[in-house]
Amino acid sequence: MIFNKELTFMTRKYIHFILITHEVEEAAKESGIQNGMVTVMTKHTTTGIAVNEALECLESDISDFLQTIVPEEHPYAHAHMLQEYGSTAGNPTGHMKAHITGNHCHFPLIDGKLIRGDAQDVYLMEFDGPSARRKVLIQVQGE
Amino acid sequence: MFIDIHVHPDFYEPLNADPGKEQFRHDQMNIHHNGTAPIAHVFNQMECAGLDRLCLLAGESSAPLDPSLVSNEEVRSLCNMHPNRFIGFASVDPRRENASETLEFAFSELKLAGLKLHPSRQQFDPSDPLMDPLYDICQKYDKPILFHSGVSWEPNTISWRARPLLFEELAAKRPSLRICLAHFGWPWVRETAMLLLKYKNLYADTALLYFDSALECYRQVFTLDIPFTWIDRSLRNQVMFGSNSPRFEQIRMADAITKLGFRDSTLALIRGQNAIEFLRMEL
Repeated sequence: MIFNKELTFMTRKYIHFILITHEVEEAAKESGIQNGMVTVMTKHTTTGIAVNEALECLESDISDFLQTIVPEEHPYAHAHMLQEYGSTAGNPTGHMKAHITGNHCHFPLIDGKLIRGDAQDVYLMEFDGPSARRKVLIQVQGE
Repeated sequence: MFIDIHVHPDFYEPLNADPGKEQFRHDQMNIHHNGTAPIAHVFNQMECAGLDRLCLLAGESSAPLDPSLVSNEEVRSLCNMHPNRFIGFASVDPRRENASETLEFAFSELKLAGLKLHPSRQQFDPSDPLMDPLYDICQKYDKPILFHSGVSWEPNTISWRARPLLFEELAAKRPSLRICLAHFGWPWVRETAMLLLKYKNLYADTALLYFDSALECYRQVFTLDIPFTWIDRSLRNQVMFGSNSPRFEQIRMADAITKLGFRDSTLALIRGQNAIEFLRMEL
């Protein structure tokens, strides 16, 4: 059996980390599936899905670390007018940070319980905010 | 106060309940894949850019018989929703017989703050005597005009129609009419600088980002094509921040303008004080 649920988030800041653990847990329950696998995937290329400890200090460190390796001022090839969009691509850093972070995560589902470590929370990571609509797909596969 | 003098509300959610109308705007503006923006999102963008006010521009379509891209009434409705955030500009199509009547109504009844015109989309010559009735109405109500100038990314727009030099005759004939050359007339930015130097009723906005990142583009245009000293010393009272959102990068442009070497007092003028003067805003 496969269960899909799509969630939409409005991000408010340029860099914005949103905890979505609760939403993932709820989707797993709602699926009715007892044993299987849960996948969480962002549908965008300037956001990431990450699993880490939900501490403000770590959020700050992760943001600073990504900023260090992906500086705002750099001669990115992506920074140019995109004919297909009719607008300028100003978000190469968002693409780079999303590339490093990855677009999905998985958790096993055993006897109806999402299996994750005590310190493991799920984040939607915005790297090109604010955005009106960021979509996250939660898919539960199993029986 | 930080004001963005050049914002297109075409894709604001309250105006786009009809998908057909939204697609019409995508086609006419030649802006795609951007979706619609709830007002809460617009405010989030303003917060990130540090902006206090947006000038929302109405727009006519390229064909005289087509409906407006964004009507004067729609701009008024957005301003009514958020009068402390939005300033509304009217638009009329000079080719329509009722253009004067429409503009009178926009100023007298809708209380819009200025007029937006687009010579290359609307295919008129700014110095054509047929335009005089519209200019007379602007002067009667002491309202400024923001002209598209320079290249346009929209379909059916021929660039020479919006070359900065074509506005000189109007600026010379009507020294009390406040005129903004949008996009700094890019790529003819030196022509724009010459005109600003010569005519103090002329303004220009910074709504240009046709190549590179916001900072790279601004550095090229405002420190190399035009030495930054030209604005910082001579044209500082005539340049206004504009983003041309949603085509360009409002947040990154608002940041980039602070990194060009302008004096703090010049930045304050560009970020808001010049727009307050241009609009004759009462604070």
